[in-house]
Amino acid sequence: MSTLSLKQLRKQFGDVTAVHEINLEVGDGEFLCILGPSGCGKSTALRMIAGFEEPTSGDILIDGQSVVTMAANHRPTAMVFQKYTLWPHMKVYDNIAFGLKLRGLARTEIDRKVNEALELVGLPDYGKRMPNQLSGGEQQRIALARALVLEPKILLLDEPFSNLDALLRVRLREELRRIQRRVKITAIFVTHDQEEALSLADRIAVMSKGRVEQLDVPSRIYDQPATLFVADFIGVMNLIPAQQNGATIDLGALRLESPTRVNGTVTVAIRPEDIAIVGESDVDAWGGEVEQIIDLGHYRKLLVKVPSVGTLKVYAPKALDLRENQLIGLNPSRFTIFRDGAAPIEVKREAVAPLEMSVAV
Amino acid sequence: MVARSTRSLLPYILITPPIILVFGLIFFPAAQSFVRTLTGVDGSFSFERYLEFMNDRSSVTSLIFTFQVTFLSLIGLFAICYPLALYLRFSNSRVAYWAQMVALLPLFVPGIMSAYALIRFFRGRGLLETIIYQLSPVLSETYYSPYVKPEGIIIGSIWESIPFTVLVLLAGLRQVESGLIESAQDVGASRWTIFFQIILPLTRRAALIAFCLNFIAIFGSYTIPYLLGPAAPQTLGVLMQRTYQEYAQPLQAETQAVITFAVCALVGLLYVRTVSSQRTGRN
Repeated sequence: MSTLSLKQLRKQFGDVTAVHEINLEVGDGEFLCILGPSGCGKSTALRMIAGFEEPTSGDILIDGQSVVTMAANHRPTAMVFQKYTLWPHMKVYDNIAFGLKLRGLARTEIDRKVNEALELVGLPDYGKRMPNQLSGGEQQRIALARALVLEPKILLLDEPFSNLDALLRVRLREELRRIQRRVKITAIFVTHDQEEALSLADRIAVMSKGRVEQLDVPSRIYDQPATLFVADFIGVMNLIPAQQNGATIDLGALRLESPTRVNGTVTVAIRPEDIAIVGESDVDAWGGEVEQIIDLGHYRKLLVKVPSVGTLKVYAPKALDLRENQLIGLNPSRFTIFRDGAAPIEVKREAVAPLEMSVAV
Repeated sequence: MVARSTRSLLPYILITPPIILVFGLIFFPAAQSFVRTLTGVDGSFSFERYLEFMNDRSSVTSLIFTFQVTFLSLIGLFAICYPLALYLRFSNSRVAYWAQMVALLPLFVPGIMSAYALIRFFRGRGLLETIIYQLSPVLSETYYSPYVKPEGIIIGSIWESIPFTVLVLLAGLRQVESGLIESAQDVGASRWTIFFQIILPLTRRAALIAFCLNFIAIFGSYTIPYLLGPAAPQTLGVLMQRTYQEYAQPLQAETQAVITFAVCALVGLLYVRTVSSQRTGRN
């Protein structure tokens, strides 16, 4: 059993607070992603867990034992770095065996473990190669083997795939998830790539400005963002500033209903997939003009200019015959209302029949 | 068309003057001297002059003494510069910044000036002895001045070579990314293990480059050994000058020069090998 707890963990660099008092509980065998933009404090948090940064205050517990005063070389963690950091003067075998040798294991035991680790990452015959003879993806797999061979309680990964090309990133991501499930290790994965986090994690901690904005399972992070930052950061979102008067928000041609009665400025957040494309003359819709059509392979993204609302991002199936400058109707089926100091409110509207495919509007 | 051909010729035009200078002022006279030293009085091929050198006690003593001084200077130099470069690489403090400034200072002081400054500093009744005397007159009686002693040459050579050595070692250490050290720490390595198994092997090239270039500079140096060293034994640089001017033996001086050049060329080869292996990425 390997669990990790961060208690009121804080890190200050001079006048700058990189990590505010964060609290996190990571369960045994769980894969947690810390997701956030550059400079949000995610790597600093990870480096504190690894022992490379000393927390200003707070505690780090692994299996209930505080490790905060423990030096990095004594912690039961292993880290995979962003840059592969394989020691260039050592063969692949020696890179993986280095930590085992330090632990005084017998030669036969080291041999067995190194070969198992190479097998696990799918590079069984690579022991005799030098790191500069490997591709980026292979180097990162060796770095993963080097971390896993020590059988750490917690595996830490600091944006390990960010230096790889997109295709390889997806492949390695799947492989990492397979390995993590196979060895049942508790893993903390830091990334700024939301797609990576959504596809890998059991749970995601979204961080911004040193604080955890939301900690939840990927589907909830996407469907029910807890803050405006999360709504904006995860996926594609239309954020429309509006004025709420009582229970209604008048937004262009539409009157949106809110279950709570307040007066003031709000932000209406609508996912592109929650906007149905309807006929231009539909009364329960915003009328708008297609400004741009972006082909994204199996679907198209439209930028539609709606008077008094702004430019909205909308997804359209490829079969729908649309042209730029064409007038269409947009009907939001679901939206979230964000107001300062209040919990977000999710509102579902009555579904409308979208335009039929291959039918010109 | 003309512009393009001029452009393609430009690199060759630019490298021609240095090549002419190197060949005209170094390789050609060196080759000439080398051939002359292998020519007997009757004009035939002969090792006569080298045998003469080997049979001359003062010449052999001088050669051994030059090797001793050079190696001891290099040991002292690395003992001072490696820890200093390590400190400068891994410390972000203001002290490190100033330490770097001070370490580089001798780079801007001409050799002859630093030699005289050292003489005034550590000769008998110099600044150092005066300070010791002010602190403890009894202690000052035991003061041993390195002036006109082999230690004088070693101290002078170290002083002169510190900036260059620190710069080369620091450049090597800066190529060792922090991630490489952190990942070693992460798998359980102690500071000593990291130093001996990661940092030292990864800075081997920089250390070899510093070794070769300092060896050549110290082995063939003249000013420091002449001003700070003993009258006997002498380093090859001093012996050469005296043989040529004071003893008016140009042929013997030429043999000494060829031997000095040959030793430095051997170390130069090691340097070239090190640099070329760096370019091809070999370890």
